[in-house]
Amino acid sequence: MKKPTIAQLQIAGVTKRFGGLTAVDDFSLSIQTGQLHGLIGPNGAGKTTCFNLLTGVYAPDSGSIQLNGKRLNGRRASAITAAGIARTFQNIRLFKDLSVLDNVRVACHLRSRHTLLGALIRSPMHYRDEKQIRLHAMHLLDRFGLAARMDETADNLSYGDQRRLEIARALATDPSILLLDEPAAGMNPNEKSALKGLIQQVLNDFPIAILLIEHDMNVVMDLCQQITVLDYGQIIATGPPEEIQKNEKVIEAYLGAPAHSVEEVVKHDLQQEA
Amino acid sequence: MKIALGMILPPLLVIAIALGIHAGVGNYDNGYWINQLTVIGIAIIMAVSLNIVNGFTGQFSIGHAGFLSIGGYFAGAILYYGSIRLFDTPPVAGILSFTLPFERFSEGAAWFTTGDLFFIAVCIGSGLLAAIVGFVVGLPSLRLRGDYLAIVTVGFGEIVRVLIESSNPVVKGRSLSKTPQAIRDANFHDLATGLGEASGFNFIPKYGSLFWVYLFVGLTVLVALRLKYSTHGRAYLSIREDEIAAEAMGIRSTRYKVQAFMIAAFFAGIAGALTASSQGTIFASELAFMKSLEFVVIIVLGGLGSVSGAVIAAIVLTYLPELLQAETFQRYRLIIYSLILILVMILRPRGLLGTRELWDLFRRKKGLAR
Repeated sequence: MKKPTIAQLQIAGVTKRFGGLTAVDDFSLSIQTGQLHGLIGPNGAGKTTCFNLLTGVYAPDSGSIQLNGKRLNGRRASAITAAGIARTFQNIRLFKDLSVLDNVRVACHLRSRHTLLGALIRSPMHYRDEKQIRLHAMHLLDRFGLAARMDETADNLSYGDQRRLEIARALATDPSILLLDEPAAGMNPNEKSALKGLIQQVLNDFPIAILLIEHDMNVVMDLCQQITVLDYGQIIATGPPEEIQKNEKVIEAYLGAPAHSVEEVVKHDLQQEA
Repeated sequence: MKIALGMILPPLLVIAIALGIHAGVGNYDNGYWINQLTVIGIAIIMAVSLNIVNGFTGQFSIGHAGFLSIGGYFAGAILYYGSIRLFDTPPVAGILSFTLPFERFSEGAAWFTTGDLFFIAVCIGSGLLAAIVGFVVGLPSLRLRGDYLAIVTVGFGEIVRVLIESSNPVVKGRSLSKTPQAIRDANFHDLATGLGEASGFNFIPKYGSLFWVYLFVGLTVLVALRLKYSTHGRAYLSIREDEIAAEAMGIRSTRYKVQAFMIAAFFAGIAGALTASSQGTIFASELAFMKSLEFVVIIVLGGLGSVSGAVIAAIVLTYLPELLQAETFQRYRLIIYSLILILVMILRPRGLLGTRELWDLFRRKKGLAR
């Protein structure tokens, strides 16, 4: 694929409002090939909305999203995927009735060069594309340990396998940026540590950058080089894991504000009355 | 070599089957079977093509008979008015067609003549017209997610029916011999609106034969299967499974939904041309909402997404009323249809074959034995 070796995703001042609620407020982030960036925050902080903005499910109200200098906001999800941003979903969205192989092959559709007519008359181009798509899909399945189950319907896979298939499927679109939405959700500790290894391996083997939403702090702190913390749609902190762990605002967002002593409260009330 | 075989062998097989049926049934004095097989063949084309929309892309179209009407009336008008205006008299067809049954099979008749060429052009034209209408109907409603298509297609089918029923009488002379002159004298407007009111379009030259019907049956099945087993067809299936995920995999969902809808409309238009030219007449009143629903029942029963399931269900459900004494069965047909639907929903919620094909069942068994 003729992609620049270093891809860069730049998000600047992206805002999304749903009626009176500002779900994402002035969100900025920059990430490039080889980086693994974590996106964390309490429930409802706007993490998934961020992903939906990046992948074209929603159009941002303001701000800009650029991949290698190419503006992506407001474009259709399929166009954004074609441009090089792929994602997985928080609530697994596999093609349940299709086979494991076909799930990945659908994502390879962008690679096909032949037209509909070519497929209908079974042109040589069609056979060449199909062969190449199958090879690519099998290669990915092999890598993710799913090759033996290629004819199984996706619905029949175990939860962990489904999560892995989602990542394999996203990679099949040849992305330069991969967005993972809570890949460890619902996994047991063994599966989680295997997943950590897998994500690290994907980052090493493919020329991509990964943006990761995750609630499991072990996974996030071990994997990510940089972490951005969202609360009520706003970025409250950005930095390496060690800094984030000590950041007071982050601790406050997760655990609530430190309790005030009775004395302080009484003093405060008296001031108010006066 | 293998590629060339995969490319050419199936179409040859389709032609061979069509020739076989035509030779086996079409050239004997058995009008009953010719009629039955024609009706069944047209039902197969309708079911398999509708399945491309409802079964492959998962959108719900319930106005498929509207496209059959459009194709049928267009073909009727061209075959009746057009043949006289263009050729002075309907051009004689070869052995593959029969203008009036059987007489074409006399000694020394040609295989393929101007008449055949004219007829096949009209069939393709009907399909293209239906596909264009499909684009106009499909584009606005398929851009949206959800069940909008169902509502729009019901309305579309009824609009087509009402428009045709409010057309003018068919242009004809006082006697059979004066008819060509009357048509020559009529202006374009008279001809375009003279579609036979609610009483149907009669006098259509009968070019349709078992060969043409089963040629297009074969082509429809071939197209559906080749779609299903190609990356384009998989794009359709992914939209059925999960449109948001499909988009996230780079599938342009609107484009593929409209494409599928147009392919389905194309074959329904051809089915209309075959209906008009096989029976010599076409009734818009018969092609109302209930007719569309029959095709939906067929594909739901056969299994949405299963090509072979649609073929089997089309054969069974079209011939069943015939088998059960049309007279008595006709009155309860709708009740039985609804009962079948309910029973299928209870016993086989995914239809006869689900999304699988007939041959998948054998493959599965083999896999288990190993």
